Amino acid sequence: MAFTRTLALTASLAAAYGGFLLFLQFGAADGLDPMDILRSGLIFASTFWLAWGAAQAMAGLTTRPPVRPDKQGPLTARCVVLVPVYNEDPVGTFARIAAMDASLRATGQGDRFNFAILSDTRDDAIAQKERIWFLRLLADTGGEGRIFYRRRTSNRSRKAGNIEEFIKRSGAAYDYALILDADSLMEGGTIVEMVRRMEAAPDLGLLQTLPTIIHARSRFGRTMQFAATFYSPIFARGLAMMQGRTGPFWGHNAIVRMRAFAESCALPELTGSPPFGGHIMSHDYVEAALLARAGWVVRVDDDLTGSYEEAPENIIDHAKRDRRWCQGNLQHARLLFAPGLRGWSRFVFLQGILSYLAPVFWLGFLAASIAAPVFAPPIDYFPLEYWPFPVLPVSQASKALGLAIGVVGLLFLPKVLIVLDAALRGRTRGFGGTVRAATSTLVELVFSSITAPIFLMFQTRSVLQVIRGADGGWPAQSRGDGTLTLGDAWAASHWIVTSGAVVLGAAQWLSPVLVPWLIPVALPMVMSPAIIAWSSRPGSRWLFATPTELHPTAVMDQQALILRRWQGAAVSPIGGAETMVTDV
Amino acid sequence: MMDLSHPTQFDLDQLANVLGTPPDAPLAMPVQVLETRAVTLLSLLRLLPVRRIRVGH
Repeated sequence: MAFTRTLALTASLAAAYGGFLLFLQFGAADGLDPMDILRSGLIFASTFWLAWGAAQAMAGLTTRPPVRPDKQGPLTARCVVLVPVYNEDPVGTFARIAAMDASLRATGQGDRFNFAILSDTRDDAIAQKERIWFLRLLADTGGEGRIFYRRRTSNRSRKAGNIEEFIKRSGAAYDYALILDADSLMEGGTIVEMVRRMEAAPDLGLLQTLPTIIHARSRFGRTMQFAATFYSPIFARGLAMMQGRTGPFWGHNAIVRMRAFAESCALPELTGSPPFGGHIMSHDYVEAALLARAGWVVRVDDDLTGSYEEAPENIIDHAKRDRRWCQGNLQHARLLFAPGLRGWSRFVFLQGILSYLAPVFWLGFLAASIAAPVFAPPIDYFPLEYWPFPVLPVSQASKALGLAIGVVGLLFLPKVLIVLDAALRGRTRGFGGTVRAATSTLVELVFSSITAPIFLMFQTRSVLQVIRGADGGWPAQSRGDGTLTLGDAWAASHWIVTSGAVVLGAAQWLSPVLVPWLIPVALPMVMSPAIIAWSSRPGSRWLFATPTELHPTAVMDQQALILRRWQGAAVSPIGGAETMVTDV
Repeated sequence: MMDLSHPTQFDLDQLANVLGTPPDAPLAMPVQVLETRAVTLLSLLRLLPVRRIRVGH
């Protein structure tokens, strides 16, 4: 583990230094000025970030998960499945709970599990629906005494506070808590296996699974779904190799040892006001760090399948969620020097901060490059006092080209290698075959290149908002269809169009030679409303096929069945299409 | 036994509250210490000189 970390870090730093030197030579061709040093520094930071991602993929491609002993027999521990909800559609969420309950009972271990729906819903109409559908859930599953529902009167500390409140009230009744999101879905067999792994490792405080995105319908959603299913297991494997005992917590689809979590994870309010003070927004990273600080192992097991989540269907919803994550990650700057944390936990905080600063570095690099001619000293064609002939500066364009190829390589090479690895190991069969998976990868590469400048702008805006002190609040997640009209897209992205036009105009005015280099960045910005609207619509089902899409699993089928039945019921689930009778 | 087909017969909210109440088994969660008076990045930033606008004499 230490070797992998050191190797990855050294390789990333070497790549970043190489980029720095290449650009410095290119920039200094007409004389070194402060702008060249600034741009080279920005290249160093940006290249390091790209190389770090590539190194993670390499670590994932070159290792396999350890073989875990296959244990059977009845469970003795008790586990509660926590489902925090916040202004969600109760029909969809409760249908997932019903499906997971059925899946758990099918394992024969269902009696060891309870569910607790922890509502932080502020909308009274939705809360009313939650209560009605909770009764329907109980009636359909016979879940009385196994499935609980409570709504907090105050949603202090948001999701972390919601879970904390439950543990303070009922935590002693359980050995483990499986923490989910409202859109999480897990196979009963996976949940049972997670409890077994917790039982097998008494020092394990938290076990994280790698959730697979399911049920995506739009072009954007299905691209993300494919990327998360095809690439993420490799990146997660690399992460697992580097993390050692200090793994990640992504806030959901993870199981915690109740005692460990209770002892270590009650979060304080940070001094000062949001966005840097107050409630800790990205609580999951901090909870993982606190568990590790208390001596518990935190682990991601990338071999665990049957763990699912849903994701935004369009770029705007993705950007809204990302705004929250951006604030949460930047807030971790306050915790970099928190007492007693492990070095890797601090590095994870730094990594999260860098992931949001990297787009700002890229944008800063572009702006500095456009402005550079203004600051460049005039070319001296007669640098030698007694030499009567002009000395023409040697072009260093090949160095800039080399750097560009290197950057593109760091972006694309891991994905290309993942396709090759998947083809050789037969993993592409689950994605409809090698041709289909390779074509999907190619289209994903093109799509992600086109959308990258749009995300760059959204992320830069988020960072600037947070630094300015603007609190993003806690908007409810948008789930569902997600189709956007051109008007919706324009309303959300007209400022990106303007920025793109300004970038092109400024480049044409100050540094026309840069215009062809800037086209791949500026053109998607100018066309962002069309790209956002187009990508929010349903696309080809041939591209981006995933194993769960081609062959839905048992719990997915069960969920679809329950959802169809419930959505087919009258407006009120009680007294509508079906009559329910329950004992009280 | 209650017939849920006639929700007006009783208070559904109350019923959901009664059936939904989680077990009473408290577990302590001591609040963790994350901030100290030690130097942080932000406090370092605060050490930077700031131009203050002075009004009057």
